[in-house]
Amino acid sequence: MTGTIFWNGTAIPFRTGESVATALLRAGIKAFGTAHTGQARAVFCGIGLCQGCLVRAEGRLTEACLLAASDGLHLSSEIAGGQDV
Amino acid sequence: MSDHVLVVGAGLAGLSAAVELARAGLPVLVVDQAQAAGGAIHRQPLPGGRSLATAAQEQRWSDLMAQVAAQGSRITLALATRFGGVDHKGTALLTGGMNRLLRPRAVVLALGARETVRPRPGWTLPGVETAGSLQIRLKTLGEAPQGRVLLAGSGPLLLAVGAQLTKLGSPPVAILEAGRPFARPLMALGLPRDYWIEAAGYLSRLMLARVPILTGTRLTAIRAENGALMAEASNGRRFVADHVALHDGIRPNDLGLPTCDALPVVQLGDCREALGARAAMVDGQTGGAALAARLLGQKAPSPDPELARQRRAQARLADLYAHDVSADLNDLPGDTVICRCEARTLNDLRDLGPAPTARQLRLDGRFAMGPCQGRFCGDWIARLTSAQAIKPGIGAPRWPARPIAVADLLAATDETEGENP
Repeated sequence: MTGTIFWNGTAIPFRTGESVATALLRAGIKAFGTAHTGQARAVFCGIGLCQGCLVRAEGRLTEACLLAASDGLHLSSEIAGGQDV
Repeated sequence: MSDHVLVVGAGLAGLSAAVELARAGLPVLVVDQAQAAGGAIHRQPLPGGRSLATAAQEQRWSDLMAQVAAQGSRITLALATRFGGVDHKGTALLTGGMNRLLRPRAVVLALGARETVRPRPGWTLPGVETAGSLQIRLKTLGEAPQGRVLLAGSGPLLLAVGAQLTKLGSPPVAILEAGRPFARPLMALGLPRDYWIEAAGYLSRLMLARVPILTGTRLTAIRAENGALMAEASNGRRFVADHVALHDGIRPNDLGLPTCDALPVVQLGDCREALGARAAMVDGQTGGAALAARLLGQKAPSPDPELARQRRAQARLADLYAHDVSADLNDLPGDTVICRCEARTLNDLRDLGPAPTARQLRLDGRFAMGPCQGRFCGDWIARLTSAQAIKPGIGAPRWPARPIAVADLLAATDETEGENP
């Protein structure tokens, strides 16, 4: 079974049980936007320790590596507009 | 749930402890942040996905899950649930799938291991992750990532991940191992037989696929170039890859964890002492039985000699891979990011002087003040400064153990209301 999540408005398919991070990575998206430091947000530790893969899920910042993908979930980068920090 | 023993982590150690506690008649609540039980070692594939586990690993896990099931309602498993800490009164905070404040009878922390990764120029680039992070994805998806993978750092995990990538049809472009584990065959002979069998399996698969394993070779820098990652090795060679997986060792995942005078808090498995899967299960069993005896006022069981055997084996393994990292740290360019959370560099650290206090590091340097609380920079800050007294967490841990949303705190079912401890 599969479904669709939306990354900055773009539809991304996911497999039941997978995290937002693996769905984005399988879609070829490695940079999850830009953090307040100017560095790219990206998966690093994969277990919720480093807080490097934070994304906005329905408005709330959360770790993409821990968040289960669910059908119709809207996700965006931490800072709207991506590179404009 | 307030009469329960709270076990955090549904891996080998946590579930083994839960079974022993339940067998002693105690109700147990096991929480795990993942979507399924398994931990890192027994991370389960997605429904219908290909499993990378060996037959022996499958057997070990299904045996343990059968023991959990046999305890029936004495063990409650709450998945997608995160542990936020315990306050001074013994109130535990859970968010996610089970969102509540409760006052458990005792807390077992079985959070497994964390990886250490040495800072290098470019280690914050997208596409660079820990080897453990990549391995979890391999186990979950049962497929290799698109593109070329380079594995670098030090430790047996690099060989395991390399072999798993090869099994999935995507052998790594190379494995850069800073140590020289094959240069001490007599020392390796002292390892237990099952370690040998496991290593031989990985190495034969890697050699058949002609994966270059470069020992005594460090990955010194990574750059983003032409849409790919360009990695420079200490021997002058360069490798182009789409993914770089780094790993420089295993430590207990114990930073920022609470202690509490109001109730017993014990750490078990890799979270207490990083000795690997075989030890984690034994430690969970004996630690769970010991905690049950303590809570019920009974005599503590004797320790299992298997733990000492695994400790010796892991010490020997560490000796095999031992290498000096001080030169690598001293040679780092000043603009290398040390603190990933706040992008603080080696120059920022040096500006604090040769022996900064924990207070200076935090308030002036902003080190360990980010959301990871120093879990990835603390080890290196201690080595890069002469502040020997600095523990990896740099100062006291902050509550909650990880960032949580205020909305979750407000929405948490409070099971402690009306209690007057």
